[in-house]
Amino acid sequence: MMKRIKSVMFALWICLSFILTIASGSFVILYIFIKGFKSVDLEFLLSNPGGIPIGTEGGVFPAIIGSILLMLIAIVFASILAIATAVYIVFYCRSQRLENIADAIIQCMAGVPSIVLGLFGYSVMVVTFNMGRSLLSAGLTLGLMIFPFIQVRVEKAFQEFSRSAINASYSLGVSKVYTIFKLVLPQCRRDIVSSITLAGGFAMGAAAPIMLTGAVIFAPVPKSLSSPVMALPLHLYILANEGISMEKAYATALVLIALLIIINIFAMTLTLWRKEVKR
Amino acid sequence: MKTAFDKVSVFLVKVLTLFSLLLLSFIIIFIFKEGYTFFKEVPILKFITGTTWNPTGDPKKLSIFNIILGTLYVSIVAIVIALPIGIGCALLLSGYVKERPRLIIRGFIDIIAGIPSVIFGFIGLMVLVKFFEKAFGFASGESVLAGGILLAIMVLPYIISTCDETMDKLYRAYSPVAQAMGISKIYILRTIVLPQSLRGIAAAAVLAFGRAMGETMAVMMVIGNAPIMPKLLGKCQTIPSLIALEMGMAEVGSLHYHALFAAGFVLMAILLILNIALYYVKRSLDR
Amino acid sequence: MNVLELKDFRAYYGSKRVINNLNMAIKKNKITAIIGPSGCGKSTLLMSLNTMLEEAEGRTEGQILFNGKDVHSISKEEVRRRIGIVFQKPTPFPFSIYKNLTYAPIYYGVKDKKRLDGIVVEKLKISGLYEEVKDEIHGSALKLSGGQQQRLCIARALTVEPDVLLLDEPCSALDVKNTANIEKMLMNLVQDYTIVIVTHNLSQAKRISDYTAFMLDGELIEYDETHRIFTSPQDNRTKEYIEGIYG
Repeated sequence: MMKRIKSVMFALWICLSFILTIASGSFVILYIFIKGFKSVDLEFLLSNPGGIPIGTEGGVFPAIIGSILLMLIAIVFASILAIATAVYIVFYCRSQRLENIADAIIQCMAGVPSIVLGLFGYSVMVVTFNMGRSLLSAGLTLGLMIFPFIQVRVEKAFQEFSRSAINASYSLGVSKVYTIFKLVLPQCRRDIVSSITLAGGFAMGAAAPIMLTGAVIFAPVPKSLSSPVMALPLHLYILANEGISMEKAYATALVLIALLIIINIFAMTLTLWRKEVKR
Repeated sequence: MKTAFDKVSVFLVKVLTLFSLLLLSFIIIFIFKEGYTFFKEVPILKFITGTTWNPTGDPKKLSIFNIILGTLYVSIVAIVIALPIGIGCALLLSGYVKERPRLIIRGFIDIIAGIPSVIFGFIGLMVLVKFFEKAFGFASGESVLAGGILLAIMVLPYIISTCDETMDKLYRAYSPVAQAMGISKIYILRTIVLPQSLRGIAAAAVLAFGRAMGETMAVMMVIGNAPIMPKLLGKCQTIPSLIALEMGMAEVGSLHYHALFAAGFVLMAILLILNIALYYVKRSLDR
Repeated sequence: MNVLELKDFRAYYGSKRVINNLNMAIKKNKITAIIGPSGCGKSTLLMSLNTMLEEAEGRTEGQILFNGKDVHSISKEEVRRRIGIVFQKPTPFPFSIYKNLTYAPIYYGVKDKKRLDGIVVEKLKISGLYEEVKDEIHGSALKLSGGQQQRLCIARALTVEPDVLLLDEPCSALDVKNTANIEKMLMNLVQDYTIVIVTHNLSQAKRISDYTAFMLDGELIEYDETHRIFTSPQDNRTKEYIEGIYG
């Protein structure tokens, strides 16, 4: 009897947990979609914010472009460094100690809260290097944030790549570089692209690192790397927190969440496709 | 046969790696150094045990005990809510969901993990805070509890994926044998999978706790940001929201500015201690 | 004539010595079989011959002479090109059959499409795969059966025109028919190549090899013409092994 009660309680617990998880997640997404749906139209997507205070009227066009540009700068910067580091650690590093040190640094970096990175970007890039609050400062700060994310995943993809195929390539007298470019990278491409995409989404949604380094309340579409930018997450924060316009806030949230879901699904399809092929 | 291309590539890889590692080390050292500058002026003990934070007053009072407590409190509330739900959900996923639907559910959970914290904050502001105000007649719904609930939803995906990884392996390893003996799934999950995945659960809890402590936007929008002694239904302040709110107005190089770095330093130190603790917990559970 | 010669050769993993003072010469255009119980160092020996041991974090002392020259005086890419190796587990690259076979030639600068096609067909014919796969040359190599994959790997090793072919238990995962295919292929290849094969299968060594070396605990116990090893071994341990004492 006791055993029976325990089992029932246990089943109840795991079912409830599952339902709560799915429900809370769906709620967040659906709530934004339902509340924001009626305010999003082509005009909202394609016009500048207007009204006084700014944001009460108009759209989010500069913020969409700003967010995409920030994401691009972040992923270009982070992925070049992250892939090079992963290649070095997996294929060139011969010292276990160096590998451990690199690992510790990257792990430590992964644990740095994004606001602290914003603080770093602010005092080093904006203030010390005099780059000002700009697209570049903010993009690079986001790049620092996603570096560990990409590095860890790419390194894992390399580690999981068949060691025997790599040895078979070396045993043909083929150089390491050729092996990496022609055998390993093409086969890991999907994993790499998928991690970069996910990281891009992560960068696009982050508000904390950019609020000090480059994102501003209003700016036109940036003309150069040194212009300040608008970004969707910060725009949403300002609309909501200052109580400027809830209607526009819902619409902005919807645009942001829709962009991120598209990015996520793209990344997932890549990974799923790869798994199918491997089977 | 080494071509010029080979040589250039190897050189580039080495240079870029060196650059990355130096850059990351620089960031970590920089934050510690800026914090250290502050501790020369204000003793670290006073900084973390004093309760008054008033950067604009005269004399300035810069101590963050309440803020540290606030950070810990919100995060603990989040973990207390999220951990049981996350474990339960992971158990169900590993025992009862087949490969295909599982991929879809995990995809959905990944999407939740990808929702930016500012959106959570926004929903928290519109739904949770309003709800507290209406349902309990609070003057203000901004509270530790609101922050905790919101963070719980945010860290749930991390808990689920970390736990599910361990549990799935265990379930796959034991279920054929156990089922061949006619033991029910529930029993396998409850008596083998759950107790055996303690290590994974500990890892998940620490990971989620770290995430929660470092979270800025969502928390900032629902906790009221008052550097007072935190109570479950009262306002509080956390280190990340302190930095986010005050960095823009602190004059570069001022004591206030350094105090914010010092706060960042304290946050990182707590996270570091937590991770080291996890490392030892893992190791002791390995034996 | 000796293609490969080992002088006072020793191999280590970390501080553990796995091959001890080995002296041996491998004759050109012959099949040499290396036999011995598991863990006797025969695979390690094979990997050392084309410097692949260092990829497995091992190290060697003593001399390996390739056509009279110390292998360490030649670049390791060159050594590996001229001494090919095929591992126990088939390791086709996750590409098409065609790309598997052109992977290394392209690296060595063959660009002409016709010449590449020629190499592919020639090597597939040598390995006896051509008739079986000629219609799916651009299909994934991973779809081939285990035996076909292994023959593809041998063909791939031949695309760089090596002088020596090392094989590490190439048939241990294959059935009788595929084993026979590979054995037949090796006996044809030996006119142009020197072959060294590590095998667990004594009857295989007896069937195809000209010379046989018996190793035990990292030492070369006996090395002679195959028929003498199997009919009148000089050392008692060799005798016991071929009679099945060590298994």
